[in-house]
Amino acid sequence: MRSRFPGRALRGAVAVASAVALGAGLVACGGGSGSSKAGGSQGKDAVTVAFRTPNWILPISAPGFTQGENAIFGQALYRSLYQYKLDGTAQYNIDPQRSMAEPPVVSDGGRTLTITLKDNTWSDGKPVTTKDIQFWYDLVTANKDKWASYRAGGLPDNIAQWSVKDDKTFSITTKEVYNTAWFVDNQLNKITPMPEHVWDKDSATAAVSNLASTPEGAKKVFDFLTAASKDPKTYDSNELWKVNSGPWKLAKYVPNGEVTLAAQPNYSGVDKPKLAKVVLRPFTGDDAEFNVLRAGDIDYGYVPAANLSQEGYLKSKGYTVSPWYGWSVTYLQLNFNNPKTGVLFKQPYLRQSMQMLIDQPTISKVIWSGTAAPTCGPVPAKPGTNGTDAAGCVYSFDPAKAKELLESHGWQVTPDGQTTCQTPGTGPNQCGDGIAAGTALNLTVTSQTGFAATTKMFAEIKSQMAKLGIQLTIKEVPDSVAVTPACKPTEATCSWDMSFFGSQGSWYYPAFASGERLFATDAPVNLGSYSNPEADKLIEATQFSGDESALKAYNDFLAKDLPVLWMPNPVFQVSAYRAGLQGVEPQDPMNFMYFQDWSWK
Amino acid sequence: MTTLSQAVRPGTAPDQPADAAEAPVRGLWRQGLVVFCENRLALVGLGLFVLLAGICFLGPLFYHTDQVHTDLTAVHLAPGEQGNPLGTDGVGYDQLGRLMLGGQTSIIVGLAAGILATALGTLWGAVAGFVGGWADSAMMRVVDAMMSIPSLFLFMLLAAIVTPSVSMLILIIGAFAWLGPARLVRGEALTLRSREYVQAMRAMGGTGGRAVRRHIVPNAIGTVIVNATFQVADAILYVAYLSFLGLGVPPPAANWGGMLSDGLADTYSGHWWLLYPPGIAIILIVLAFNFIGDGLRDAFEVRLRRR
Repeated sequence: MRSRFPGRALRGAVAVASAVALGAGLVACGGGSGSSKAGGSQGKDAVTVAFRTPNWILPISAPGFTQGENAIFGQALYRSLYQYKLDGTAQYNIDPQRSMAEPPVVSDGGRTLTITLKDNTWSDGKPVTTKDIQFWYDLVTANKDKWASYRAGGLPDNIAQWSVKDDKTFSITTKEVYNTAWFVDNQLNKITPMPEHVWDKDSATAAVSNLASTPEGAKKVFDFLTAASKDPKTYDSNELWKVNSGPWKLAKYVPNGEVTLAAQPNYSGVDKPKLAKVVLRPFTGDDAEFNVLRAGDIDYGYVPAANLSQEGYLKSKGYTVSPWYGWSVTYLQLNFNNPKTGVLFKQPYLRQSMQMLIDQPTISKVIWSGTAAPTCGPVPAKPGTNGTDAAGCVYSFDPAKAKELLESHGWQVTPDGQTTCQTPGTGPNQCGDGIAAGTALNLTVTSQTGFAATTKMFAEIKSQMAKLGIQLTIKEVPDSVAVTPACKPTEATCSWDMSFFGSQGSWYYPAFASGERLFATDAPVNLGSYSNPEADKLIEATQFSGDESALKAYNDFLAKDLPVLWMPNPVFQVSAYRAGLQGVEPQDPMNFMYFQDWSWK
Repeated sequence: MTTLSQAVRPGTAPDQPADAAEAPVRGLWRQGLVVFCENRLALVGLGLFVLLAGICFLGPLFYHTDQVHTDLTAVHLAPGEQGNPLGTDGVGYDQLGRLMLGGQTSIIVGLAAGILATALGTLWGAVAGFVGGWADSAMMRVVDAMMSIPSLFLFMLLAAIVTPSVSMLILIIGAFAWLGPARLVRGEALTLRSREYVQAMRAMGGTGGRAVRRHIVPNAIGTVIVNATFQVADAILYVAYLSFLGLGVPPPAANWGGMLSDGLADTYSGHWWLLYPPGIAIILIVLAFNFIGDGLRDAFEVRLRRR
């Protein structure tokens, strides 16, 4: 009698053989050159872009719909009040060309910001006025619990008075005196004018009225608009979305499929589209995208990390390969509240030792193939550059010094064995508060599946730490953030030691890279429950002090105090676009794409 | 036609006089061995397995490499460079040494999970088939229900929940791969429970447990052993699948599936030495167990024996 298994096993073997054979074929092809058919849209007035299908169109984001593709898609149709650029040339980082208003005029000791709109029109010819800003404000104020960008104490809670002076001017008076740069970059960035003269109603058949001016009415309008935004199949037919302020209009939308943007002929901004059409084409995965890119069938795509060695091949096919640096930092989160290992992380010398065992420059160069750069502190390096200069890191790679630090604090270091605490106590040469004699340095890192470079990086870090008897167990899970939440020591979910979710960067900042959401004691994304009164004070200063050195002081302190372990910061993506495509550079560190700047040579 | 002496396996019939049972039993094993040896593919399979196991378990005694510490100054060295016969991988591990280490994991997990699944399945199936009635229905519905869930999905789910390690992989794979053997043995048990010698034992006051232990399982041993070889092959592939999906044992441990996955990630880089060796090793070991299984089937299948 023959079971069902032999056939399956043989089929499995055949599958493996197929994989090897396929790989063999690809290996044979790899690195080769030769001509390919010219796909994509080169030489025409259109461009084909690898891009996930957006699934949200309303300029007020909803929880669960905050993906990057939605933000880029939204900006193409509805411009924000302010757009930012981080090259250091503009006041408050405001991009004067793309923004719909002049920079705010500050008065009342910093509490009042008066904003004047530029002369812009909607695509139906009606002017963009303060009524459209007020409409946005009314909707978010009445529906802040449904707004993804809402944080308690932030916009609109921190506004004492919102007053409209005339069609072009309005002012905001805050409850406290904020650092204007912080308020402009991290609060006003959420405002997007919305066409009140088209959207201020609660059903498709209702007439436009002043419904949103009352909280009850604003709730109805918001529900109506949200419901429409949750119905992607009607995006290209719903009259609501046909009135835009952006450089593009939606020509075609296929749910979970291709999206076509057409140049908006009535666009009133100065950055008019140079192309007639942008086709956004989604792919099922990295491999599918890369195969199409290799075949030359798209004009703009990305090179998956596993295929970075193909840069030469892509260049030979007429692509420009360019890393897209994000305004981001990458780190390994430490759980200070873990009832067992939290006491270890609370010791600065232990954090320092572990940081000194992470060879960021070499990992960035070898494992990330040069597409990552060391992170040295909470504030990202100069925008558009390759991360923080490793030489500037407070703790560079130095295993000897790390060993010395451990030994000088009462640890018996056993290379490739188990380093244990020999001298417990709170004295300067002792292990520290709460660490018992014989305590071993056994820690678990919860990391991400699906990133070959991340796996290799932790193999290297584990190897380096093992040399000093710090034993790491690497556990890869699909969603490392979900299983390593901020927690109290008594909670069952607090058993995690260290968490990594930075395979594409751990944290992307708005224009002002302050840490109130990351490293303040009560910060919403302070997953490790780091708490340091000095850090809180410095973070507060970045928000409320006008002193320009506040951000530097905050960065310098946390770079040294190590609320997390700083890790190599990978680029947002490695872009590949046809050499004839102009205007792609510089790629926006805040991850927006400005298709209107693109053109063919 | 099966005779009483042919149906009873070595040492399984204490009800028979020992000296009467021994002679034909030895003959049966010898006959089985002869039949197995006549199957050239089975011998090739056995040879392959011995060779691969030898390389993996004895090789490191003669070929010393550091498979614990990474070396970022020596990544992706081509075969032969700096004394690495099969080159190095993306973090500087010697690929030949890694192949040996990975093979150990694959073979250990494969054998242990295969044996665990076979043992569990045999026990479950034998009890269900022998007891019959509502117990059989209930036990087999459990099997049917679990079989209706794609096993790879279950493995992935569990591997994502627990921290993968060699022992955990054995448990996970073994815990779900026993369903096939359970069905097979249950079928055998249904036939065997009505045999005269089983009925005679029951008439003499033998318990159900004794019947299962001393008659049902031993008489289904041919099916069980043949199936076990395929279970091992299956388990090796499951380890490969899980590792391929990033759910295998974490570094510095290795296994062939994970190595193949890494190799495929380097497909376009021309680093063929990261792709071919683990892929070929998986194919060879799975084929080896399939050939061995075929040979054992011939050896245990009475109808295929030369009389």
